[in-house]
Amino acid sequence: MFDFVIAGIHAPIFLLVLTGFTVGIVGGFIGVGGGYMVTPALIVFGFPGYMASGIDATHIAGKAVISSIRHRQLGNIDWTLALTMVGGTMLGVELGVRLLNYTKKLGIAGVVLLACSVVVMFFLFLYTQLETRRAHRKIEEAAEAGRTVGRELKTSTLHHFFQRIPLYPIVRCRTARVVVSMWVVVLIGIATGLLAGFLGVGGGFIRVPSLVYLIGATTHISVGTDLVEIVVSGGYGALRQSMSGNVDMMAVLFMIVGAMIGAQFGSIATAYVRGPAIRYILSYSLILATTGACLRLIYVLTGQKIELLSFLAVVFTLGEMLFLCLFIVSLVVFSVRHKQGKRVPPWVPPLVVAAE
Amino acid sequence: MPNGFSQDEQSRGREVKILAEQSKGRAAIKFLFWTAAAIAVIVYVAEYYATGKMASAYYHTATVDGYAINSNTFGQATKENPVALSIGAFDKIEGPVAVPVKKGDRLPVNANGIISNEVLEAGKRARLEGETIQVLVPWEIKESKGFKYKDTFKHKGVKTDPWSGVWNVAMVILLGITLGFMAEGFTDLLGWKIHKIRHFEGH
Repeated sequence: MFDFVIAGIHAPIFLLVLTGFTVGIVGGFIGVGGGYMVTPALIVFGFPGYMASGIDATHIAGKAVISSIRHRQLGNIDWTLALTMVGGTMLGVELGVRLLNYTKKLGIAGVVLLACSVVVMFFLFLYTQLETRRAHRKIEEAAEAGRTVGRELKTSTLHHFFQRIPLYPIVRCRTARVVVSMWVVVLIGIATGLLAGFLGVGGGFIRVPSLVYLIGATTHISVGTDLVEIVVSGGYGALRQSMSGNVDMMAVLFMIVGAMIGAQFGSIATAYVRGPAIRYILSYSLILATTGACLRLIYVLTGQKIELLSFLAVVFTLGEMLFLCLFIVSLVVFSVRHKQGKRVPPWVPPLVVAAE
Repeated sequence: MPNGFSQDEQSRGREVKILAEQSKGRAAIKFLFWTAAAIAVIVYVAEYYATGKMASAYYHTATVDGYAINSNTFGQATKENPVALSIGAFDKIEGPVAVPVKKGDRLPVNANGIISNEVLEAGKRARLEGETIQVLVPWEIKESKGFKYKDTFKHKGVKTDPWSGVWNVAMVILLGITLGFMAEGFTDLLGWKIHKIRHFEGH
C-alpha cells in the first residue's frame, strides 16, 4: 500500500502498475489511450472521481510517448499526416470541451454524454466489424486462390471520395502513401477532436477508424500516427487537469512504469498481424465499452436506483481490459505457431503475418 | 581453405562479427544512458513528492476566507466525538490546528483543505468555540451508492499553482521519452531484430 498524499488515499502500487500494463498492451496495439477503461478502475481503487480522470489523462500522455517511440521504430508513423492533423485535433478538443460545458449549464450533460458515447461507439463498432469481416473473407479467398496478400486489406472505399476533394494545399503523406487535401485532414481532426473533447476521452477509438476509412491510411500507420496525436491531445488534457488540481503524480508514475512494459508488447505485437486483426480488436473494444456505457446510461435514466447496473458497468469495464489483453496475447502466440507450421484455429491464418 | 571457407568469405565473416559487436556496444551505451536518465527522472519526481514540495504546489492558495487545516488530523470525527482544532497563525500545520486564511493567501505547509467561514456559520459540519474549531464530520464519507467517496474538507477551497501543471506535463513527457528509449535500448541489447514493417508488400 502507498500513501498518496495528494489524492488522500492508500492504494496498492501493484494494482496501479498492473492497470498501466494491461492498458499499455491494448493502447500500444490499437492506438488508443484507454481512458474509458482506466478511470473506472481508479475509482474502484478508491481514487476520487475527479482525481481518477486527471490521473488517467496524464498517464495517457506519457504512455503515448512510449508507444510512439516503438511505433516509430516499426515505421508505423506518418509524421506529415500527424502534424497536419494535430492543429485540427486541438481546435476540435477545445470546441468539444466548450460544448460539454454548455450542456453542463443546461443541466443535461450526464445523459447527453452517455447517449452520445453509446451512439458513436455502436456505429463505429458496427461499421468496423462489418468491414473487417468482409476483409477477412477476401484474404481467405485470396489465400485459397494462391495469391499473396499485403499486410493491409480493407473493403471500404470511403477514402476515395475524400482523397478526390481538390482543395489546395494538397498533402503528400509518403509513409501512408496517401495524397489528400490538407483541409480534409484538418476537418477530420476537428471532427474527431470535437467528439473526443465532448466525450472527455483521448479520442483514439474515433481517430483510428477515421484515419483508416476516411483518409485511407493502413491500420498500422493509423495506430502509430494516432499515438502521436494522443501525445499532443493527451498532453493538453494533462495540462488542463493538472492546473485544476486533479492529478496525483505518484499514481501517474506507477502507471507509466507498468505501461512501459505493456506498451512495448502491444506495439511490437502489431508486427505479427495484418490490419484486419487490429481492426477486429478495436471493434471488440468498442462494443464492450458501448455495453458498459449503456449500463451506466440505463442506471442514470432509472434515477440511479438499480445499484446492480452501476456495479455491472464497472465490472464489465475492468473485464474488458483483461479480455482484450488475452486476445492480443493469443494472436501473437498463434502467429508464432503459424510461422513454425504448427496447428492454429482456422480463423487465424488470414489475420496474422506468415513471414517477413 | 582449412575450415571450408574461402579467404573472401572468412574476411566477410570477420567484418560481420565486428559490426555485430559494435552494434551491441552501441546498444549497451544506449540502454545504460537511457536507464540512468529514467532513474534520475523517477528519483527526482519521488523526492519532490516525498518532501512535500509537490503537495505544497498542489494545495497552493486559498480560494475562500476561512481556516486552513490538514483533514488527516480529524479522520474519525463525528457529532458524538468531535475533534477540536486550536486556532493559531502557524507556518506549518502539525497536529489538530487551524490557521486563519483569506482568499488568495498562500496556504501553510501541510494544509490540505479549508474550513470556510460559511461552513462555520452554518455550524452543521464544524463550529467555532472560542479559540478552537469543533469538527463534527470525518475527512471523507463513503457514499451509500457505488464505490465513490465524498471529501468533506479535503481539497475544498484550495487552488493549485498553475505552474505545477506545466511541471507535471514536462515530467510525464520526460518520463515517457526516457522509458521509451530505455526499452528500445534493451531490445537492441538483447539483439531482437525489430525491423520497419513493410506495409505495402505481399506476405
